[in-house]
Amino acid sequence: MDGGKFFGAFRACSGIKDAVVLAHVPVGCNWGAMMLKSTSNQPDIRQACTVMHEREMVFGGENALKEALIHADKLYDSPLITVVAGDASAMIGDDIEAVINSISVNLKKEVVWMDAAGFKDNMRKGYEEAMVHLAQLMKECSIIKNSVNLIGFCPDDFKVHADIKELKRLLNSAGIKVNSVISNCRFDEFVNAPAAELNVVMGQGAELAERMKKEFGVPYLEVDYPYGLEGTKEFTNTICEHLGIGCDAEQEFDLEPFKRIYLYLHELYGTPVSVIGDFHAEPIAHFLDRELGFDIEVLAGNEDDYFIFEQNVRDSSTTILFGSSFERNIAAELRIPLVRFTYPVFDHVCMYDDAPYAGFRGAVCLTETILNAVMGFGTKETGTTR
Amino acid sequence: MRKFCIYGKGGIGKSTVVSNIAVALAEDGKTVMVMGCDPKSDMTRNLVGRRIPTVLDVFRAKGPDEMKLEEIVFQGFNGVYCVESGGPEPGVGCAGRGVITAADMLTRLGAFNDLEPDVVIYDVLGDVVCGGFAMPLRKGLADDVYIITTCDPMAIYAANNICKGIKRFADRGEVFLGGIIYNGRSVVDEPTIIEGFAARLGAKVLGKIPMSELIPRAEIHHKTVLEYASDSEIADMFRYLALAICENEDRTIPEPLSEAELDEINEEIDVLMREKEKKEGI
Repeated sequence: MDGGKFFGAFRACSGIKDAVVLAHVPVGCNWGAMMLKSTSNQPDIRQACTVMHEREMVFGGENALKEALIHADKLYDSPLITVVAGDASAMIGDDIEAVINSISVNLKKEVVWMDAAGFKDNMRKGYEEAMVHLAQLMKECSIIKNSVNLIGFCPDDFKVHADIKELKRLLNSAGIKVNSVISNCRFDEFVNAPAAELNVVMGQGAELAERMKKEFGVPYLEVDYPYGLEGTKEFTNTICEHLGIGCDAEQEFDLEPFKRIYLYLHELYGTPVSVIGDFHAEPIAHFLDRELGFDIEVLAGNEDDYFIFEQNVRDSSTTILFGSSFERNIAAELRIPLVRFTYPVFDHVCMYDDAPYAGFRGAVCLTETILNAVMGFGTKETGTTR
Repeated sequence: MRKFCIYGKGGIGKSTVVSNIAVALAEDGKTVMVMGCDPKSDMTRNLVGRRIPTVLDVFRAKGPDEMKLEEIVFQGFNGVYCVESGGPEPGVGCAGRGVITAADMLTRLGAFNDLEPDVVIYDVLGDVVCGGFAMPLRKGLADDVYIITTCDPMAIYAANNICKGIKRFADRGEVFLGGIIYNGRSVVDEPTIIEGFAARLGAKVLGKIPMSELIPRAEIHHKTVLEYASDSEIADMFRYLALAICENEDRTIPEPLSEAELDEINEEIDVLMREKEKKEGI
């Protein structure tokens, strides 16, 4: 299930943590965007909206946008306003560039806008295009040796804070500094992203990395999101190898937690499971298959046909479903547990749990979550999805 | 309540026909309401003698909850109720959405229930360019549509295109083609061309408006012909047309012509133009 280009651009812009995101959309789109991020960080109120109503649809939304820009400029203490223009303004042909140009000299903040009509493309494309637009804010920097940018995170990804913390811990212990985490950094960190020696693209943001390579000469490599022990080893070793740092990720293991938790897994060997999600789906399926010994029945991406996915799951012997909050209904229908691991998760919070799913620590936490989902579920006859 | 729309290419004479037949029907004792669905908002000028505030002007100024019916409906000559939908300035917003909004507001404010018109006439922009300008064809707003055309190829082309829009809604049983109105102010004045075109559509020509200098004269004075020259022959032509439309019960699903069929008509027009040139010794 894909949120369309608007949501991709919105998430990309929300990832500059001290910027204001001004959604030039009708009230419903704004509500949807707020709802999907409400469980990630409610106090984060950097979202403004032109709130297009019927009047704007008929007479155009340019005046509303102008007023909203002026208000946002006054109300927020922020270095940047990103204008994300959705479907309605694209349909009626608002000249957003002209509006911004007409008042930019009077605004204290920098303004970047992007055409993000949901009907034009998918969420992934929205993210990629938005990142390329935002790249115009970056500046030439002195390279910081053995530093990387991690590209592909969004502030409303499930477990994002814990995952970033774990990956930073891993990379730091290998002697690597994390320069910027994109899209989850402050404006100054984003602007100074070209100081990194290497861009590490995790699932999305390759177009930004390509642009940075051309413009600033920062090379990049694309890696899978690091789930499980093997996935994490590959992640760390690949980066170290690229930077020419001698590092044996295996030595970082603390095997004790795994010995304890993996004891529980004997009974689950060969469990049929299905997985759906964005770029996190394939790596997690790989972990479930390779390290936990689960059988992957159905594996689907967000851009695949959701109804076919549901039908394939119904026709399979899936006993655990891995996905987002969107899979709650199908899990309830099939009376199987749902393990949430990917965007959007709007029925669980994970802001301060400090239990990652990525990295070595993430491998333990994720396994524990899976065990708890199964153990707490009861039987297929009596169980209810939680 | 009798409800119909007048469509046709821009500048073909829709507003002239609508305003004159509205006055003719009012003369006949009917309560008539006309609604201009063109952002230019000049259809009712000849009925009221001036431009009136449009539904969307008031909508923009006051919002949907504060609007009142008397702010958007004005009585013109012979008591004809006049409404203009209005629209955004050229080049911004969505005029099609404006027509939908105006029609919704008119219904919401009780224009049809409170004023109880016997006849409602919609004067719609030159072409069914989008869903908004097709609004009068939907939701039972009109029973049937009358298309005005001259003998000019582009006017016939536009009429044919409008029929494509009508067919879409006629197939759903929402509205039908009532007939064609011929405007003689053409490059060649040959009614048989339009009779042939109408026959191919499966419709008939319901009336003819001949070229008359009284029409522009009346309009210069912001009047309808029926007010300006009530006893003239052209005024009577409008009266006949009004009666014919009101009593018309022929409702057809038009069969729009193919490009090849339109080309055949164009060739006939070409022959007539050459003959006219010969006669005039050009």
